[in-house]
Amino acid sequence: MSLPERDTLLAEVRSLTEAYKAGGPPAADAFRELTHLLLRLTVLAPEGGVRLFSGPRGRPEFVLGGWRGHHDPLPLTDGRYLRLTVRLYVAPVEELSRLKVASSSYQYQLDREGDRWVFRYDYLRNPPDPHPSAHVQLRGNLVEDCLPDDTSLERVHFPTARVSLEAVIRLLADQFGIPCHTEPELWRPVLAETERAFLEIAHRPLGGPER
Amino acid sequence: MEENGIVELTRDEIVEMIERGAKHRLNMSARQLVEAYRSGRLENPGAVADLLAFASLLLESDPLFVAA
Repeated sequence: MSLPERDTLLAEVRSLTEAYKAGGPPAADAFRELTHLLLRLTVLAPEGGVRLFSGPRGRPEFVLGGWRGHHDPLPLTDGRYLRLTVRLYVAPVEELSRLKVASSSYQYQLDREGDRWVFRYDYLRNPPDPHPSAHVQLRGNLVEDCLPDDTSLERVHFPTARVSLEAVIRLLADQFGIPCHTEPELWRPVLAETERAFLEIAHRPLGGPER
Repeated sequence: MEENGIVELTRDEIVEMIERGAKHRLNMSARQLVEAYRSGRLENPGAVADLLAFASLLLESDPLFVAA
C-alpha cells in the first residue's frame, strides 16, 4: 500500500461522506456507494454488492440491501454471509433535506437463508416493542444457567450504543478472522475516517423505552 | 425496474418477498407479521428486520396494513 493510494481513498470517502451528509436527491446513492466501498476494501466477496430499493411509497424512502433484495445477503470472503439491511428516508431539517436512518440490521450468518446466524446488531429509531432501540443478539448457549425458563440466549436483547457498519466490519475481520481484500494499513484509516463522520451525526437512542 | 441505480419494486414484488420470508422464518403470513409487529407482539423483530424494512416501502393505505 502506498501513501498516495491511501490518500486517494481517504479523499474519495470524504467526498462520499459530504455528499450523503448534504442531503438532497444524491444523498442515498452516496451512502450506498460509501457502504459498498467500505465492504469492498474489506470483507465482501468479489461477487457481492449493495443496492438501493424503493417502492410504491416513492423516492424519499429507500432500503439498502443485498444485490437482489432481502433474500440476498452479502457474500463474505470466508464463504459466509452478512445480511445487511438499512432503511433510509429523507427528512426536512431547517429548510434542507437530510438523509436519515430509520433502522439498520447487520447479521452474520453461515448460510444464505439465515437459519444459522451468529450475531445480529439492530437499530430501530422508533421501536414498537419494549426492546432497546440499539441492541445485539447472540445465537449460542450460556455457560451458566441463569436465564428464565422460557428464555434462550438468542432472545436476549443486550442494549448497545449505536453500532456502525465500520465496527461490524472490524469485528468480522479482527475477531472472526474474515480475510480482507486490502491491508489493515489501508482499511483501518478509511474506516476510522467514515465512522468518525457517522458518529458525529448519528442518532443516539436511550437504552430502553421511556414508559 | 431500475432507474439511476435504484431498483423500484412493485407492491406485488414486495408482498411476495415478505410472504416468503415470514413463512420460512416464523411460519406466519405477511399480514400476520405486520399485525404482530405493529401491535408490539412480535417477540423478536430483529429476526425479520429485513422484511419489515421492505414493508416500509409500501403505502400506508396498503391492504397489508389496513387489514392489520
